[in-house]
Amino acid sequence: MKLRLVAHSPEIETTIATSMKTTTSGAMPSTLFDRFKDRSEKVADIVSRIEVQHGNILEHNRLIWSLEASRDRVLDIMLRTKFLNITELGGDRWVVSGNLRSVIELHLVHRDDFTEALVETIKEASPRIYDFIRRGEK
Amino acid sequence: MKAELLTYIPLKTLKEEFPGLGWKDFLPHLIYTIAIEKVSRACSHQLVRHRVASFSQQSQRYITVKRLDEKIVVPSTVDESNIGDYIGGINTVSETYQRLVDKRVPREDARFLLPNAVETSMLMTMDGKSLVHFLGLRTCNRAQWEIRTIADLILEQLRAVEPEVFNHVGPYCYQLGYCPEGRLTCGRMKEALERYAV
Repeated sequence: MKLRLVAHSPEIETTIATSMKTTTSGAMPSTLFDRFKDRSEKVADIVSRIEVQHGNILEHNRLIWSLEASRDRVLDIMLRTKFLNITELGGDRWVVSGNLRSVIELHLVHRDDFTEALVETIKEASPRIYDFIRRGEK
Repeated sequence: MKAELLTYIPLKTLKEEFPGLGWKDFLPHLIYTIAIEKVSRACSHQLVRHRVASFSQQSQRYITVKRLDEKIVVPSTVDESNIGDYIGGINTVSETYQRLVDKRVPREDARFLLPNAVETSMLMTMDGKSLVHFLGLRTCNRAQWEIRTIADLILEQLRAVEPEVFNHVGPYCYQLGYCPEGRLTCGRMKEALERYAV
């Protein structure tokens, strides 16, 4: 099994902060997004208050992976979660995509080399959510 | 009202990575996050019926509605002959809502009074496949005017950044070459095709 992150939504953590503040602030979401774009400390402060129970704030993003795995292995993944999109390329190669919520929830209920690889790929795209997941493991 | 595309994954990135696939194959993997602002709660109720999507909406539990008459959407059919009735109703609700909040009724309960005209804003994220379906339904002549205006604003921005995908998209008659509305058809397919033609 080989998993590689090939693309992801830009500004994932800025969008998470925007989503969190949209629900409780009277400010417009586009204003919040612009306000947070160049303020990584503010974004870090907001994102650090995340609670996984309010998962919808983790859904405004997408990560896309290239996966090399057998059909049996992919069937096993599909049976564990219905929230990943999977396209077959042929020759045991697949396009897989999903959002951070799907990754976190899958990792919470099942640990194997696939979910571990999924979490590792988040490190670059969303370092604070990566830390959040790793802290939760301890 | 306003709709602004905040983030998306460019089709080009995926085409380079997976050269064997066409744009339709990528639709379930592409994603678009859009800020939708100052629409009515009536409109947001329609938006959230598109279930394969994610929404983060302003909460009436946390945000107190002050001066309701400044935070409402007025349909164009409410004209000078009936605007007094419309605003009068809004003001009555506004005063009662404020009185309840002042009497320490929780906002989550006082909001039961608020009308569908109240403005709301949200983040909406949809994958490409769901968005093509959303636009097929909501840019249609039969869609309600407010959500149709939002759908047109979204489509305009998507065509600007991803013409390879969204030049194919418009109301379902434009996408399919026939009207799927059956006996409910607006009968103005030619006009729709001209409006959305690239």
